[in-house]
Amino acid sequence: MTHHLIRAAILTGFAMFIVYLDRTGEMMLYIAPRMELYVKLSAIGLYAAAIYQVYAALQKRLGHANPACDCAQEPSPSIFKNIIIYGLFVFPLLLGFLVPTGTLGSALASKKGVSLTGISGYERTSAPNPLAPIGVTSAEASPAPAQQPNATATDSLALLFPYDEYTEAHAAYGKKLYAQSLISVPEKQFIETLTTLDLYREAFMGKEIELTGFVYREEDMGRERLAVSRFAMNCCSADALPYGLMIIWPKANDYAKDEWISVRGFLTTSTYMGNEIITLEAIKLERIKAPESPYVYPDLDFG
Amino acid sequence: MLKFLFRFGTPLIGAGCLVMLALILTNRELPAHLFSSANLQSFKILFISIILEAFPFILLGVVFSALLQVFVTDAMIKKFTPKNPIAGVLFGALLGLLFPLCECGMIPVVRRLIRKGMPAYIGIVYLLAGPIVNPIVYASTFTAFRTTPTMAYSRMGLAFAVSVIVGLLLYKFMRRSPLKSVTPASFAPHGHSHSHDHDSAGKGFRGRIASILSHASDEFFEMGKYLIFGALLTAVLQTVIDRSTLTAFADQPLFSYLFMMGFAFILSICSTSDAFIASSFSGMFDFGPLLAFLVFGPMIDLKNTLMLLTTFRVKFVLILIALTAGLTLVGAWIMEVLL
Repeated sequence: MTHHLIRAAILTGFAMFIVYLDRTGEMMLYIAPRMELYVKLSAIGLYAAAIYQVYAALQKRLGHANPACDCAQEPSPSIFKNIIIYGLFVFPLLLGFLVPTGTLGSALASKKGVSLTGISGYERTSAPNPLAPIGVTSAEASPAPAQQPNATATDSLALLFPYDEYTEAHAAYGKKLYAQSLISVPEKQFIETLTTLDLYREAFMGKEIELTGFVYREEDMGRERLAVSRFAMNCCSADALPYGLMIIWPKANDYAKDEWISVRGFLTTSTYMGNEIITLEAIKLERIKAPESPYVYPDLDFG
Repeated sequence: MLKFLFRFGTPLIGAGCLVMLALILTNRELPAHLFSSANLQSFKILFISIILEAFPFILLGVVFSALLQVFVTDAMIKKFTPKNPIAGVLFGALLGLLFPLCECGMIPVVRRLIRKGMPAYIGIVYLLAGPIVNPIVYASTFTAFRTTPTMAYSRMGLAFAVSVIVGLLLYKFMRRSPLKSVTPASFAPHGHSHSHDHDSAGKGFRGRIASILSHASDEFFEMGKYLIFGALLTAVLQTVIDRSTLTAFADQPLFSYLFMMGFAFILSICSTSDAFIASSFSGMFDFGPLLAFLVFGPMIDLKNTLMLLTTFRVKFVLILIALTAGLTLVGAWIMEVLL
């Protein structure tokens, strides 16, 4: 009977924990929004199981046989073993309820390695040089302006944004961004925007860009550089990966790691650890309050 | 209780002292580094998020397994499983298309199927192929590797091939049941045969509901302890191990395969989201190691090895891991050379 009651308590504990996370809004620290519904549904399942355990305990108390089948044996008689096993279940609950919640920050980002160039793996198409062969599709779509004196603005845009079959969505998005005088990196398409900026860095050179994130610093960055980063989460925070953009600012050292900042600056490139990466020459840094959701999510509808 | 205290108290204190001595002698900074609040926060968030994410799937698995237990008779399973071993192995490898469960939900279901008379080798094939060869995982892999769609096809293909080969080998060489023989003292209250269950299932709707809840909640505790322990280890490793120092191996040809497979084993993330992790490595690693990561991870990882050990004999689990790892390595390498 004690076993049934302990189990009922643990199951209720987990169900309450999920409700607690939902009520306090902390759920988004652990789970991506598209998974939240399933986690909430599982709370109902846990409740149902807890109620059943109480029911089974009462049945036993009243001297009835186990209602499901007569085969239920008492779990291991060893107290030590049971303490370990139930302790294992209680541990995450204690941790969840008692330890104050923070967010993922530089400590984990440095373990996972921050990507400073958006999603890698896309083939960067060559610079918009009219003489050099560019991506096949764009070359067909828009002949070089030299041959077409009346080339419209769309043609020169197409030249700036050559694409292959995989980067088509980024090229289209890039053209949209190119038209803006100030490119503000949105929460919803954080990774996609950084990837686009990196893919078409020549086109965006010197553009004014604005973004927010937490301060991330590596030793090699020195006193005048820092990276503005966000964690991108797919399902749960175990698969969250940090993405960032390098910032050059003379007083970069004034900003402590994990501080949330908003940065405005002009896009350029710099060399870091032997790679040429996109970089912001900052003109304005501002400390801000941490946003409601520290994470960004890949936009599954992109492209 | 007092007896317990006297019996285990002294050894526990002794062990604690030994750990402290070791820390003093070697590197005193380690615990400070481990428990610094940033690391504790990372650990807490990772640990709980893995558990939360697995809950829906594990519940789905135990409920599905309980439904099988209560509503599907042994005779029905026997009727539907092909008699021919080759057809059986193919059937097991494609069962994931019908029942797309992820690996945490898979183990209780497979165990139930084997107990109900499905040949063990078919069950194992489903266990290996199911988490990969299914529409949900195909879609997520395709999304994550938009630039290399061959990744999604090769992942499905290689997983299918590996699981079929493992299944045929098991059919040929496995003589004993791989399931643990159950001792009455084990924590598993439902570990023995259920021949009487059909009587209780006949008690009408209420009896069946009670029976489903009873089986599901018992199984939840049985699987849950390993899930939580696996999540604990995974979270500790993810907080402590520095990814960039490990990726120094990326250039060594054989090492990069082994590294990615070991990494998949440690990470223990669900097969629906691991493609996104893999794609974050695509700049660093070649096609082959990434494929090995994507195929080996869902089949065998830290979390599910612990869960496998609840159900199957230790020797069998070790052989299964070795077989799967070997075949994945060779398969991924062949794919890399061919594609």
